[in-house]
Amino acid sequence: MNCEKCQELMGDLVDGGLSREDKSTLSLHLEECLACADVRNDLQSIVAFCRSHRGEYSAPPNAEGLWLRIRNVIEAEMQPASKASAARQQGKSFWSGLMSRSWELSMPQLAASAAAIVLVVSLGTTVGLRRWDNARGTGPVASSPRAEAATRVSDRMWQQQQAINYWNQRVETNKVRWNQGMRDTFDRNLKVIDQAVNDSLNELNRDPHDEVSEEMLNAALNEKLALLREFSDL
Amino acid sequence: MNSPAQMSIRLLSTPLRFSGAHIFSALVVCAVLYSFGSPSANAQNRVSKRFPVGKNVRVELKNISGTITVESWNRDEIKITASLETPNANVYPKLMGECVSIDVMGDNRGRGDVGDVNFKIQVPQDSSVDIETRRGDITVSNIRGGLVRAHISTEGDIKLLDISATQVLAQNTIGDIHFDGGFSRGGTYQFQSTKGNISVRIPSDSAFRLVAAAPTKKIALGEFWHNGFKTLGDGRKFVGDVGDGRSSVMVTTFQGSITFIRR
Repeated sequence: MNCEKCQELMGDLVDGGLSREDKSTLSLHLEECLACADVRNDLQSIVAFCRSHRGEYSAPPNAEGLWLRIRNVIEAEMQPASKASAARQQGKSFWSGLMSRSWELSMPQLAASAAAIVLVVSLGTTVGLRRWDNARGTGPVASSPRAEAATRVSDRMWQQQQAINYWNQRVETNKVRWNQGMRDTFDRNLKVIDQAVNDSLNELNRDPHDEVSEEMLNAALNEKLALLREFSDL
Repeated sequence: MNSPAQMSIRLLSTPLRFSGAHIFSALVVCAVLYSFGSPSANAQNRVSKRFPVGKNVRVELKNISGTITVESWNRDEIKITASLETPNANVYPKLMGECVSIDVMGDNRGRGDVGDVNFKIQVPQDSSVDIETRRGDITVSNIRGGLVRAHISTEGDIKLLDISATQVLAQNTIGDIHFDGGFSRGGTYQFQSTKGNISVRIPSDSAFRLVAAAPTKKIALGEFWHNGFKTLGDGRKFVGDVGDGRSSVMVTTFQGSITFIRR
């Protein structure tokens, strides 16, 4: 017995209206299936509650109206589900109709259909191959590794530059409080770091895959950031 | 015989004669007296403080400007001597647990222009030393603690002499860095300068993994060089193990040289 069949018979089981055979089959299933056993337990406790409290609750003033409202709510919830089901059914019938339909074509129609199929397949193959080449970076429209590396470096530079701008603003605000000696020292050192950044950038422009220059550029940018951050506190 | 009154009248009426040497001497005396008596721009105050501490103590100093010298001595105490140039900075050394902290940066935040503060700090040999300053030379000598950190934001030389710490960090922008000491097993050692020469003097039996980078290609590993080193970037970077590579050493200079010397 499956769960669906079991839950169909559950009401009769609770009411005591099941045949002996059905009852034994159902009991076997309930021993194996925890979910159905839970449903049975819930149902039994609801029925037991209702029996023990019979007569304690008065019926609602408009019992018919209440049932109507409940039915409306249930129907409203069921409508989208049934629409989806209908759509699925429609789709299914379209495909099954398409597949079961028989076709009668004249010779020119057959030739035109074959030509159309060949054209579509060849176009699809050409486009697919071109895309595959691009993905491997060998196609004519693929961006060059040099350009990719340059973009990567400029992206990182841009990100670092945002942070540098922020700290630089803070430094400029505080700078007026420093003595001339400290201002000169700061400017001199910033210039040295900028020189290191520029040297690394020039090397990277010459060879975008130069890992040493990339490392040096990162280190120099970090150092610049650290210098600005430390002097923003002063 | 003349009376005292008559003598003093005669002295007053006698013309006084001074030689050039007398006048020069008098001027020098006046200048010296003036320089001691008036508040000059380079007037110095001195702050000195001692803290009794245990063996494994940590010293943290955040200075703004001035020279810093840290050396060990055979006492279980830390002595801090600071000479302050005008305008005088606030210097309040504090003992917190096993850490002596001097935060010139924090104690003078917002004051802007404060004069140099030159420190001399004497510590037990096993101390950890963590120093940072915006500018000025740093010298640390004869330390055997866990950490020696010397960080100069801008310019100043760093000398780390007779150091045997597990972690050593030295960094500046303009200025030379010199390390003379030993590498401990499993220790990390980083030396970085933007525009300065870095020299590392270590025992010949040192074992370490080295990453040395200098775009100037001036990397001289001396007798620590061997063919197992990997050369990258056309000689701008060397990576390799010396001995069994027990400790990790990173040396970087952008516009300077790197030199390894046998001790």
